[in-house]
Amino acid sequence: MGRYAIRRLLQLIPVVLGTTFLINYMVWQLPGDPFAGRCGQRPCPDSYVSAMRAQFGLDQPMLVQYGHFLKNMLTGDLGVDFNQVPVIDQLGAAWPITIRLALLAVAIEAVIGIGAGVLSGLKRGGFLDNLVTISTLFLLSLPVFVTGYLLQWLLGVQLHIINPTVSDEATVSELIVPAFVLASINMAFTARLTRTSIVENLRSDYVRTAVAKGLTNRRVVGIHLLRNSLVPVLTFLGTEIGSLMSGAIITEGIFNIHGIGGMLYRAITGQDYTIVVPVATLLVLVYLISNLLVDLLYGVLDPRIRYE
Amino acid sequence: MTEVLSEHVGSGSAGGALLEVEDLHVEFRTRAGVAKAVNGVTYSVDAGRTLAVLGESGSGKSVTAQTIMGILDMPPGRITGGEIRFRGVDLLKLPEDQRRKIRGEGISMVFQDALSALNPVFPVGWQIAEMFRMHRGTSRSDARKKAVELMDRVRIPAAKERVNDFPHQFSGGMRQRIMIAMAIALDPEVLIADEPTTALDVTVQAQIMGLLAELQRDSNMGLILITHDLGVVADVADEIAVMYGGRIVEKAPVHDLYRNPAHPYSKGLLESIPRVDLKGQELYAIKGMPPNLLEMPTGCAFHPRCPYRRDNCVTDVPPLYTISGTRGSACHYWREVIDDGSR
Amino acid sequence: MSEPTAMQDLLKAEGPAAVPGLGRPDRARSLWRDTWDILRHRKIFWVSLVMLVAFLLMAAFPTLFTHKNPEYATLAKSMEGPSADAWFGYDLQGRDVFARTIYGARTSIIVGVLATLLTVLLGGVAGVLAAYYSRWLDSVLSRVGEMFLGVPYVLGAIIILGTVAPAQSSPDKVTIMAVVIVVLAVLGWPILMRIARSAVIQAKHQDYVQAARALGAGPGRIIFRHILPNSLAPILVYSTITIGSYIGAEATLSLLGIGLRAPVISWGIAIADHTSYIRTGAHALFFPAAFLSLCVLTFVMLGEAVRDALDPKLR
Repeated sequence: MGRYAIRRLLQLIPVVLGTTFLINYMVWQLPGDPFAGRCGQRPCPDSYVSAMRAQFGLDQPMLVQYGHFLKNMLTGDLGVDFNQVPVIDQLGAAWPITIRLALLAVAIEAVIGIGAGVLSGLKRGGFLDNLVTISTLFLLSLPVFVTGYLLQWLLGVQLHIINPTVSDEATVSELIVPAFVLASINMAFTARLTRTSIVENLRSDYVRTAVAKGLTNRRVVGIHLLRNSLVPVLTFLGTEIGSLMSGAIITEGIFNIHGIGGMLYRAITGQDYTIVVPVATLLVLVYLISNLLVDLLYGVLDPRIRYE
Repeated sequence: MTEVLSEHVGSGSAGGALLEVEDLHVEFRTRAGVAKAVNGVTYSVDAGRTLAVLGESGSGKSVTAQTIMGILDMPPGRITGGEIRFRGVDLLKLPEDQRRKIRGEGISMVFQDALSALNPVFPVGWQIAEMFRMHRGTSRSDARKKAVELMDRVRIPAAKERVNDFPHQFSGGMRQRIMIAMAIALDPEVLIADEPTTALDVTVQAQIMGLLAELQRDSNMGLILITHDLGVVADVADEIAVMYGGRIVEKAPVHDLYRNPAHPYSKGLLESIPRVDLKGQELYAIKGMPPNLLEMPTGCAFHPRCPYRRDNCVTDVPPLYTISGTRGSACHYWREVIDDGSR
Repeated sequence: MSEPTAMQDLLKAEGPAAVPGLGRPDRARSLWRDTWDILRHRKIFWVSLVMLVAFLLMAAFPTLFTHKNPEYATLAKSMEGPSADAWFGYDLQGRDVFARTIYGARTSIIVGVLATLLTVLLGGVAGVLAAYYSRWLDSVLSRVGEMFLGVPYVLGAIIILGTVAPAQSSPDKVTIMAVVIVVLAVLGWPILMRIARSAVIQAKHQDYVQAARALGAGPGRIIFRHILPNSLAPILVYSTITIGSYIGAEATLSLLGIGLRAPVISWGIAIADHTSYIRTGAHALFFPAAFLSLCVLTFVMLGEAVRDALDPKLR
């Protein structure tokens, strides 16, 4: 297990290098001078442009720039943005909000998704099962922003149950509806995956054995069936944490939440690439590491998995 | 004609056996139609006795066992008639929570494929200990000690070290031993073993059968041994019930049946076993296919494959004729079959 | 990569009802026959088919549904609500929302279908190559795929589009559509590669393929005659669902201001234009959003119906 973890970690290195190189390359090398449009109506003076280019290393070859980037990342130096504000400070403010939002979303996915999946899987073909099947089909077809605007309009504008936008503090109670929106598609998948898994395992021999052992129904379902059925579901939830964070861009935009997604979005539209690159890198790292952790967790959840 | 054998055939005294199945009917409702899996099966087993239930797949032998255990999938399964009496009480009329308590304590079961029958994500010791914890409220550590004792009893080497291993870490024979340990944990009065050796190597088969026989002797259990393999039962069983198309077609003390079968199907089964003394001769095979449960043949279900067939076999369902004592055959022409003798 | 991975799991999800399949000896042909027999009896299939035809007609002949000009603006009617005259009301510029919604179908479906085709082409070729040829090529392609999957979908699209076609620029209709199509495909191909790869590997080990190889058939013949026809089913199902998710993704990018933009008429743009007016004129936002969602639903439903019918194991 330990050796496997190390090998997987080593395998991660080329992927991280490749992905970050791609991000760097795309952001810095593609056409359009990021400094040309930064002086209001008039074009920027050449002295300013060249000074900025020198400061951010744009006058150097791509590989040298990438080397600098790697060195800075490894030493934890995220640099300053074009307005000379340290990137790390901005991240420090936005990061906790997005984490809160993402964790809340995962909690909603897990509770509602697994709950609905278990209920519909246990009573296959019943009313609840059909309800879950149809409602998940609709949830899957609604793009996140449609769900977002719909809930904002319905709960915020029409019914006044929530504030249409989230305040700067972004308290947990304010984040519940946005988290629900962010979670909606994955929640539907979780429900379906759980249902499939329950239905499959319900027919399995070991469940029959558990009944033959004279265990109560609650124990057969709650311990023997669930423990097995939830392995793929937990794996799914884990792998999706990373993409949930970047998916937050849209949700944060709709509800005006000042998290990582919003920060990234503003940086891109403002062409402030000094923020784009580290934030994107961070999101990619979260994604890859959460995938790795899930892989390792899988072995803990299912003793049959052997690491070689 | 001979009188029809109406009393409980099988081991033990009439009317007071430990476990009695009487006139059991089970069917499966599928989209393709109603499959009649069990059509009036009657058998019984007493403490310390072994009944072997023999038949090919689809003969209803496993469905009967599952119905006794109460683990039949319903739906699509449906019990349409009959009684299953355990110590005189009809299990089919008991409320579920009382029925549950009998499982494991009173009647217990060993399944064919231990790898899939054991829960893959829990250690084997935990699974055995669960019997004590859930039925007897034994503490975790005591239940664990008992699990190790049981693993010792079914002769798993280094039981103490292996108690925390998972099912997939054991060999097929060892897994079946664990399955058996779990089934006998609470000293049940009846043990049902559903093809316990089918998935195993021949050498291991003998060991497992030996173990089952020994455990049965030691604790005086009633044992129902379900198998499709005549070779397996000769040494361990007291009585044999041969099933075909959801019915018992012959019932006999094991040696009577071996010496002189009274039903063409049992005769065919015996003749299809390779025998050393008849080396070089062509092996007999019962011609035709097992019956389609959705469209049972009229009359005797075996008639399409039967060399003794006459006209009334196609129209009249043969009852279980009494031959002698507890012996019976569901063939209109059992005398002829017996007279022909075994090879 | 939130949507496509999720979609992949959808493929594994189980179908709602059991339908009896009829076993026939001829495997390849009977698969499609059986599938059709099952599909014919499923309501969900017919509902999605009717919806599909409606959307396709809308895309091909918008004048069948409306005779109004989607570009014609009467500023005086800006944000007027639905009426008998204009069923869906007027938008910010005073244009007819119904007409613009009808005309929007064409863009969305073109982008969805072309992006899916390109994805299938890229991913399919990569998958077949990876599965059929050397282990070396396989591991290189798999690593490259992982790199693309390593960039979360929305993030990747924002980075590429934000640099290729920044929000401030105004490229012409065809260019921007092409760019969006390419971006969707470039980010989506690794998933299809995985599906194609595992389908081909499975087919490769079938006896009839081994037999063809033993009889001396070349790799080209084996791939085109034997492997592809038998690997088609999972790719087909995935593609159908992908069209739906790409239509949603296109709208998402347009909403962010980095996807399609005026003068293109699309649901995403219509929604983006009116997000700030959700309090006063929700109709201009929700009618296009409803059509968008229904269109995505159509493809997802169709894909699911076919998948359930195709895979007897899942029933």
